[in-house]
Amino acid sequence: MNGDAASTTEVLSVADDASFDADVVLEPIGPAAKSRAAVVWERIEPILVYAGDWLNPILVKETRQALKSFQFTTTFALVLAACWIVTIGGLALIGPSIFYSASGGTLLAWYYAILAFPLIVVVPYSAFRSLTAEREDNTYDLLSITSLRPRQIISGKLGSSIVQMAVYFSAVTPCLAFTYLLRGVDLPTIAVLTVYTFFGSLGLSMAGILLATLSEQRFAQVFVSVALVAGLLWICFWSVFGGYQVIQFSYAFMGGEEFWTTTLALTTAYVTTFTLMFFAAAGTITFSTENRSTPLRLCMLVQQAAWIGWMAFAWIYNGYELGFIFALAAFAAVYWYVMGALLTSERVGMSQRVKRRLPQSFFGRAFLSWLNPGPASGYMFTIANGTSIVLISLLGIAMSQLLASGTPGSLSADELFCLLIVGWGYVVAYLGVGMMAIRLLRRFAVVNTFAAVLIHFLVILAGSGIPTTIQMMSVDLRYEDYSLLQIPNPFWSLTHLVDGGVASEGAILVLVIPAAALCILLLNLRSVVRELQAVRIAPPKRVLQDEAELHPPPAALPQNPWDEPE
Amino acid sequence: MIRTATPQIELRNLHRVFDQTHAVNNVSFEVYAGEVVGYIGPNGAGKTTSMRILATLDEPTAGDAYVDGFSVVEDPDRVRRRLGFMPDYFGTYQNVNVYEYLDFFARSYGLKGRERISAIGEVMEFTQLRALAEKPINGLSKGMKQRLCLGRTMIHNPSVLVLDEPAAGLDPRARIELREMISKLADAGKAILVSSHILTELAEMCDRVAIIEQGRLLAVGSVAEISAGVQVQSTVHVRVLEGAERLQNWLAARDGVSELRTDGTLAVFDYAGDRAAEASLLRAMVESGLPVIEFGAKHKSLEDVFLHVTEGRVQ
Ligand SMILES: Nc1ncnc2c1ncn2[C@@H]1O[C@H](COP(=O)(O)OP(=O)(O)OP(=O)(O)O)[C@@H](O)[C@H]1O
Ligand SMILES: [Mg+2]
Repeated sequence: MNGDAASTTEVLSVADDASFDADVVLEPIGPAAKSRAAVVWERIEPILVYAGDWLNPILVKETRQALKSFQFTTTFALVLAACWIVTIGGLALIGPSIFYSASGGTLLAWYYAILAFPLIVVVPYSAFRSLTAEREDNTYDLLSITSLRPRQIISGKLGSSIVQMAVYFSAVTPCLAFTYLLRGVDLPTIAVLTVYTFFGSLGLSMAGILLATLSEQRFAQVFVSVALVAGLLWICFWSVFGGYQVIQFSYAFMGGEEFWTTTLALTTAYVTTFTLMFFAAAGTITFSTENRSTPLRLCMLVQQAAWIGWMAFAWIYNGYELGFIFALAAFAAVYWYVMGALLTSERVGMSQRVKRRLPQSFFGRAFLSWLNPGPASGYMFTIANGTSIVLISLLGIAMSQLLASGTPGSLSADELFCLLIVGWGYVVAYLGVGMMAIRLLRRFAVVNTFAAVLIHFLVILAGSGIPTTIQMMSVDLRYEDYSLLQIPNPFWSLTHLVDGGVASEGAILVLVIPAAALCILLLNLRSVVRELQAVRIAPPKRVLQDEAELHPPPAALPQNPWDEPE
Repeated sequence: MIRTATPQIELRNLHRVFDQTHAVNNVSFEVYAGEVVGYIGPNGAGKTTSMRILATLDEPTAGDAYVDGFSVVEDPDRVRRRLGFMPDYFGTYQNVNVYEYLDFFARSYGLKGRERISAIGEVMEFTQLRALAEKPINGLSKGMKQRLCLGRTMIHNPSVLVLDEPAAGLDPRARIELREMISKLADAGKAILVSSHILTELAEMCDRVAIIEQGRLLAVGSVAEISAGVQVQSTVHVRVLEGAERLQNWLAARDGVSELRTDGTLAVFDYAGDRAAEASLLRAMVESGLPVIEFGAKHKSLEDVFLHVTEGRVQ
């Protein structure tokens, strides 16, 4: 058996190693020494086997592949060669002044440029390719019908990205240490650069994997892959530029309170977005009857909470200025419109599998139903979140009125109130209209999620584009600042309100838009009710039977000391 | 054959519609444990489509399929643990050798530690790939790839095997070996659904066949059952010592004789009737004084049944 053959060779190699150990060398190399090594091996082997089992299969396979792959070794060799060239060239240029000048910074910038390319471009692109190549080489089908869960597939791919990053880092790390010796850079700067680049690369790899899961068709793959490379090169350029700035000016901002606050805020944004992308990618490759929506909705809730938290912090920190409430609501409006467009594009009808786990209790049904998959519940989920943002903002405005000292910002409380209500109305109305359009089209044709999202964007484009065109072509209205023709146009109307239009058209918009939104909400209510009527169903007998076999209930424990265990 | 209470594979009113083609149209049949069922049909009949649905790679437009009682639509995760699918293509990875390939899939099916090592060993033993363990899979010949593919399919010891044209591209010897492997697997109690175009192959290893054309299931059963059902004739040849013309006239007047062709003293014709009817035909010939020196009847093979049942339409 091959497994045995492999372990035999390993036994031998362990025996060889052991014989060179200081305390073993004196012993005669004979059966005794061997058996001792064998004993050691017997202890180690299960641990190794166990450790190997614990690793993600994709990680194991792709690491094995990478070690043998030509492309990987050449890139590694190139990075190494580039580092050497820079080192030698740099030293030659600096010359004897190396002993008293602080030239570490310049060299570090160069090394960083060398490191940024593989990390920002090569690793994320390979992550993208490694999943699309599975589709092209027909291995994806084979992989997807194994017992690997989609999350394991995604984390396996991420794991191999990390391994690649580690290898590139290991090539450049000695050089980074060298720059420290040359003076001119401090350790925190080097650390910040490497840590930011590492997480940047990881995040971009996650994005690459998400894009790969989304582009199933050949055409989409080609298009996405070109766009991805262009985007990565662009990011790489700016991160090299940014890295240079950091190296030059790090003394000015590193270590201060603001630096750490910003880092913490960025970390929150990073972690929540990363998680969202992770679950989105895993959801895309999960079979369609599984509940793929609830984890995403939970991620959105967390992300929204983090956003509110940080904006509240900034608001308090800056003396309760209204501008922060505006920023909170403006970003949330865009966020929830986009997420709402995705959620309302979900497929209609709950699978039996999802129904097996629906909330059952009264409170569960009242509060958790909005997390169930389905377009109508997605709509209500979005509205609930949007409304909570409005309520929190209103509370914030009230508190600002009471607490704010100093000069008021550019926005007054009235204007902000007006913007909040109108903005809420636009999000609710456009998502509702889009959802109705999708429902209508689904009667005649198959509309997948991608097409449905596109319909949403077309609806809002039509709603804003048509009035704009009409006004531009009209002789009378052409030079007007704003006209009531623009009521369906959220972009023009909201900008108008921000630019001080509240006094003139504010009242009309505040009445008309929310009223329209409520009407559209009412029109959609029937499908909401229909989705809410879904109740939990019992799993089939065969599933219960299998569940009992997989997770047998714990054996009954003796109830008192006199009971005999069976 | 022993039939357990529940079928291991069950297709229930399965439909799959692509844009214009109704690739699978209301197909229902079952496969029981320990049974090999052949799935035959002309190109584009819908075999691969229905097998992909069984393997949870595609979803039916209507209807459902069950593997060991689990729906492929609602519980694909449970189906995957029990099912091995061998597609009609081979998925290769770069820079991976035979052992690593099997090891990867063993890990992916959740096999751990010694269990995994022994599973890989058994599979390499069964498919006789031991000698090639270190060989990169890209360099394998078609037949070796096919073996490796079968090995991968059975690495997690599934109770159900779905094999899509496993014999394609194999040389005669390899085919015989494959047939033996499949029979062994069936003897070990697995339910096997196998599609193929090589009908003689299938006839020998299958307990039953399912014939599909243009997405519709035309017949299911053993070859004998189907041929009885479709009234297939046997081909009979008779040679007389002399009097060819008399033989021809005699035969032309009989019921059940069709497609009569003569070549000198030899007459070949299709005859509708079972063995007993053939015997009485011979007796009647001899009694009427025809000097019969040769009489033979060839029964319809799976190929004939196939040609008879299907009509060669493509969609
Ligand atoms: N992805 C697809 N998109 C559109 N049509 C498809 C798709 N897959 C299969 N078809 C169509 O469905 C029908 C059945 O195809 P299928 O591959 O199942 O046939 P088959 O019986 O396996 O044929 P063969 O013996 O040639 O392998 C064909 O008409 C084919 O064109
Ligand atoms: Mg086929």
